[in-house]
Amino acid sequence: MMTLAQAGYPAAMGGATLGHYLVVSAILFTLGLIGFLTRRNLIIMFLCTELMFQASGLALIAFGRYHMSFTGQTFVIFVLTVAAAEAAMALALVVLLFRRRESLDAEAWQDMKG
Amino acid sequence: MNQWLLILAMLTPLASALGVAVLPAARAKTVAMYGTLVALVFVLYAGFGVFSWEQSGYMQLGMDEPIRWIPSLGLEFQVGVDGISMMLVMLTALLGPICVISSFTAIKDREKTYYAWLLVLQAAMTGVFCARDLILFYICFEFTLVPMFILISVWGSTNRKKAAIKFFLYTFTGSVIALAGLVYVAWFNVHRPGIEGHVNWTFNIQTLAFASSKWMSLNQQTWVMFALLAGFAVKVPLFPVHTWLPLAHTEAPTAGSVILAGVLLKLGTYALIRFVLPFVPAAVVAYAPLIGALCIVGIIYGGLICWVQTDVKKLVAYSSVAHLGFCVLGMFALNHAGIEGSVLYMINHGLSTGALFLLIGMIYERYHTRSMKELGGLAAKMPVWATFMVFFTMASVGLPGLNGFVSEFLCVMGTYQASTAWGSGVWHTLVPQVGTTPGELGPWYAIIAGTGMIIAAMYLLYMLGKVVWGPLRLPAGHDHHGGHDAKDDHGPALPTDLSMREIGVLVPLAVLCVALGVYPKPLLEALKAPTDSLVQAANAGREKIGVEATPGERAAKGEKGAGSAQLPGSERPAGTTHLELLTPDMISPASGRPGEVTP
Amino acid sequence: MLTAIGTMVTAAEPEGGGSHWTLTMIVVLPLVSFVLCGLCAAFKVKSKLPAWITVASLAAAFVFTLMAFMNAGPMIAAAGAEHGAEHAAASAEHAGHLTVHVFDWLNFDWGGGKSSSGRFDADFGFYIDGLTLLWMLFVTGLGTLIALYASEYMAHDVGLGYCRFFAAFSLFVLSMSCLVMASNLLMLFFGWEGVGLCSYLLIGYFYKKPAAVAAAKKAFIVNRIGDLGLLMGILGVYAAFGTVQYDKVFEFIHKGVDAGGHPLTTSSWIPVILPLLLTAGAFGKSAQLFFYVWLPDAMEGPTPVSALIHAATMVTAGVFLIARMMPLYTIDPAHTILTFVAWGGTITAFWAATIGMAHFDIKRVMGYSTASQLGYMFAGLGVMNSAGGAAHVFSHAFFKATLFLACGAVMHGFAGQLDLRKLSGVRKLPGWKIVAAAMFFGALNLSGVTFTAGFWSKDLILASSFEQSPAIGWILLITAGLTAYYTFRAYFRVFEGPVYFEPGDEVHGHDEHEDHAGHGHDGHGEESHAHDGHAQGHGHGGEFHPHAPGWAINTVLATLVVGCFAIIPLVGFAEHGAWVGKMVGASSAAMHGGEEGHGTFLGMNPHSVMYYVSSVVGLLGIAAAWWLHLAGRTSAAHANADKLEPALGPIVTWARHKWYVDEFYDAVIRIPLKFLSNIFYLLDQYLVDGLVNLTGFVPKGLGRLIRPSQSGELHGYALGMAGGLAVLILIVLMVAR
Repeated sequence: MMTLAQAGYPAAMGGATLGHYLVVSAILFTLGLIGFLTRRNLIIMFLCTELMFQASGLALIAFGRYHMSFTGQTFVIFVLTVAAAEAAMALALVVLLFRRRESLDAEAWQDMKG
Repeated sequence: MNQWLLILAMLTPLASALGVAVLPAARAKTVAMYGTLVALVFVLYAGFGVFSWEQSGYMQLGMDEPIRWIPSLGLEFQVGVDGISMMLVMLTALLGPICVISSFTAIKDREKTYYAWLLVLQAAMTGVFCARDLILFYICFEFTLVPMFILISVWGSTNRKKAAIKFFLYTFTGSVIALAGLVYVAWFNVHRPGIEGHVNWTFNIQTLAFASSKWMSLNQQTWVMFALLAGFAVKVPLFPVHTWLPLAHTEAPTAGSVILAGVLLKLGTYALIRFVLPFVPAAVVAYAPLIGALCIVGIIYGGLICWVQTDVKKLVAYSSVAHLGFCVLGMFALNHAGIEGSVLYMINHGLSTGALFLLIGMIYERYHTRSMKELGGLAAKMPVWATFMVFFTMASVGLPGLNGFVSEFLCVMGTYQASTAWGSGVWHTLVPQVGTTPGELGPWYAIIAGTGMIIAAMYLLYMLGKVVWGPLRLPAGHDHHGGHDAKDDHGPALPTDLSMREIGVLVPLAVLCVALGVYPKPLLEALKAPTDSLVQAANAGREKIGVEATPGERAAKGEKGAGSAQLPGSERPAGTTHLELLTPDMISPASGRPGEVTP
Repeated sequence: MLTAIGTMVTAAEPEGGGSHWTLTMIVVLPLVSFVLCGLCAAFKVKSKLPAWITVASLAAAFVFTLMAFMNAGPMIAAAGAEHGAEHAAASAEHAGHLTVHVFDWLNFDWGGGKSSSGRFDADFGFYIDGLTLLWMLFVTGLGTLIALYASEYMAHDVGLGYCRFFAAFSLFVLSMSCLVMASNLLMLFFGWEGVGLCSYLLIGYFYKKPAAVAAAKKAFIVNRIGDLGLLMGILGVYAAFGTVQYDKVFEFIHKGVDAGGHPLTTSSWIPVILPLLLTAGAFGKSAQLFFYVWLPDAMEGPTPVSALIHAATMVTAGVFLIARMMPLYTIDPAHTILTFVAWGGTITAFWAATIGMAHFDIKRVMGYSTASQLGYMFAGLGVMNSAGGAAHVFSHAFFKATLFLACGAVMHGFAGQLDLRKLSGVRKLPGWKIVAAAMFFGALNLSGVTFTAGFWSKDLILASSFEQSPAIGWILLITAGLTAYYTFRAYFRVFEGPVYFEPGDEVHGHDEHEDHAGHGHDGHGEESHAHDGHAQGHGHGGEFHPHAPGWAINTVLATLVVGCFAIIPLVGFAEHGAWVGKMVGASSAAMHGGEEGHGTFLGMNPHSVMYYVSSVVGLLGIAAAWWLHLAGRTSAAHANADKLEPALGPIVTWARHKWYVDEFYDAVIRIPLKFLSNIFYLLDQYLVDGLVNLTGFVPKGLGRLIRPSQSGELHGYALGMAGGLAVLILIVLMVAR
């Protein structure tokens, strides 16, 4: 099956082209990544992963629009839903972890050392 | 109903496994016993009432139409048996209730799990022998590992964990390589030279056997053979890859050892006879001397190791290495006597060695030791047990009149005859005639293997001399008069000598040992047809080697007379090759469908 | 000539309907007895019932054998007549025989149109000719008598052990009948291994004695070594002739071709190697040459067993095999293997006799004597006098059974005492007259005193030996002297001289009661014989009183003594072994090679002078025994022979230690093999299994190698992910460009 763009449809975006969205998405992703790698607070690290999620979501939407396909948007809605559920779970876990060690430092947990 | 018998033979144990799992633990024994007995009835009815032993090739004793399982790959759920597999199905069904009943007092914890897995194992083993589809075979073949792994690792002796892991990983590693070989054969079937148009994938055993034996070059066949051997020789087990066996046997619970010796090892030999011989006959012919030599090394080496064992169970376990050496040796003689002997060996070894393991288990239940240093002279204390022990040992030694002799003799006879040198003057003047057949082994192989019969007498009588005869010796804690003492506080107490239940388990085996030893003719007749096609395949393999060795001659004589390196004894109608002779028998009516060439 | 067989078989056929049935009954009766004895054991019968079952069924089997013999009478007569008419021809094909098919045992065929076809036939069937009938007559006849004897001899074990004994005894007669009556080589092998099993079970009857267990094991394994040769020989016969059925094989040999139509003598395969392989089996079963070691040890078994199995019947199976396959042996014009057989027999005869001269255990002396006498039989076959060999088998069966049973009676009465030095003057004790007489007449036969059955049969062999090869003749003649010496040495020391006895240390294996330590030998004898109705010889504690044999033992001994005399006309007073010769002449063993030799005894015709020579030699041996062991002997332990001993130096000690052959075998075969087995076991554990474990170690080691990469720190994993992503992107970029 061919995409709409390939089929000759014009780009549906005015001033902002696909590139702009992708750049923003990349910046968001990099910020999240750097944050995840450098911070040691579990909550901050969790927030950084959310940031990366949203970056990829943005890219998906941009591409969906570019290809005149709803798949990207549908996907993002799913991701958002899952992310919401996941956030609830993850934060609950973080609370539990905090209760165990009285600390939010990720370094406090090294039980999986081989 | 008739065409469902085999399916029922598989489903009954599965259903009773489910029943065992669901019902309370107190019912587990009963359900398991009736489940296996019903399966036995189905199989016996299939064997004596429905199956026609005279016909060659497979008999559709399954469903009429195969279930198209994964149509895009040509996978079919298709069951059926020929004479060889019918016998092995019957052996499996017979050992089922015997294993269950023999475990009644031996297994005291987690009974539900135990009997459930035992039943699942039986279903899987029956499936192996019934499968007509390569993948179905392989699934059942591998699935036998899981219940056995659990049986060993939960109910085994002290070193059970190591034994179970080694058993699983060793045989599994081998069979994965075999799977590669089998899949290659299926791939070859759709990519073979000279094919026009699109061919559907199929895993039908007969179709593949026909294709690979006919079109594969010797080189390809050799690779396939070694891949298959990697899996099946480990399972048998042949000489250098046998070390999992003594460990697994020694550590397994009694019923596990019985099944291991009785059926699981036969999966290996059955696979050799079902796949290696018909799939790659040329390679088999080319490498028969090598395999034969390995078997002989196994016979002598395994036998001598038996002789220095102090653990009775380990002794019997190592004796399996020696015994199955005979079995495979006969098979690779590639003549009628050898192959029939080999199949009978599978049955007979299952009966006699299975019984020996049962007997050792009965002793272990009473005295909690298997060491020949602690046990001795039990004839004085347990005359019934001793009688059975001597009887089954003699069956194992190969005493004429009992079953072991028939198969051992036929294997040795096949090996003796099987030499093309009979005609070429090496064995002096004898021309190929009724007493000799073309083959790759010969009298020297038979004589060296025959020393194994002396060694078998040595170690088995050594065992009898230690355990059965001599002054009575019992392990500390068992005084000489009290019989079974109070140390064993859980479970029903066992009588000093065998109970009626234990005798009842042994008697059917003993009766079969005598019957098959005195009147093996029905079995020999039944094996005639399947053996014939295997021998024809081997002859075709010899021709293929001859063809590939002498391309010039082939060109000179034209395509038709390609088998110009005419081997002695292989008379055939003029103008036909053995390859053509294969066709009618080797292709089943059903196999035309998936394998057929579509425009 | 082949048509002659055909007519003979058809001639025998009219009675055939009846005779098939009688023949089958000969095998069925011991089988029934075996099963019934087994049932007795299962139902814990505590009486002499198993013995009576066995005696009755064996007696019935003997009657059926007689009937078969009567039926076959015309056949034998016809063959015998022809035998007389045409003297010179090698004549297996002259023999009348009857082949009966009972049921298919290992018969199968293969092929057909498509592949090479063939068949293998090993029926359960009978091949009846003179040789078969001769053997069957003494197997069933002596079997019955010895079973009767054993009913009393084994009485101390009434119960499970008694059932076990008679079950094995019946099984033995069954196997022996199969061996002798077999219609093909494989069924012979069936019987051959069957008798081996029974021998194993019966030697090891007193299974609590480690020596008995070891002896049983030794007998079975040594036999198996020979059996391998026999089995390979059978397969060789099949390869050569395409059949193992006697009649068909003999037909091919008569025609002089193998199954492929090629002459038999073009290579050494058929004329030399096949008979050599069969000879290995025969020598194993009959304890010849390297294989003799098991037979003396087999004396650990109960004495009736020694008498029946290890003297009269089973050990002669080797002689039977060679006699049966004589056509195969005579293919070779040079008679290579027959010469080998003759020498094997001769050497064993001499060798075993030297050991017999030195041994003090009376039963072992008889054991060595059996090996020695078997040597004579093989020598007889080897020097082409099969009639002589068979005649000696026949007479030996009677007199050696007599001797053994007399020894057994002594052993029974003196609580297992077997030592020559601890018994003396037994003849003079009350109730021992019949035993002493039996021993005396048996000894006369064994020594070859003039006109006894043993004399006639031994002379046939000696005369033919001198004809064929004077060297063999001389050795056998000297051995005859030695035989007379050691036989009468035993007789004079045990039965003559001053009365003296010490009880033995017999501990019978009791199945029923564990507590035999509780009562001594007196109480033991009392307990088991109280109901036998003979009161003499029993004390009630304190000193030992021997108990004289009861009616069963005495009856059997008397019958056997009469038998020893009755068979004289069957083997003696005629050329070529009289009746026995005629029976052998009417069989596959027929041969008239005796006339071919040109050897002489000091320039005289050996057949004429041997009667006198061997009589003199036998009397010399007896005289020596009298002088060395009876003359002037005042105690049991010391005789004139002791004075001779220092003069002979270490030879006597060596002979007493059986020339250290057992030790030699142990050092050369058993210990190295055990060592090798241990090496193999170590190899298996550490090399073969070690390689497997090594293979298993590779993934484990790899895992251990990269294990530090799992630090357990979250950031480490994150960095790894990011790094991996970066690498992936780089690769994508590089590939894209």
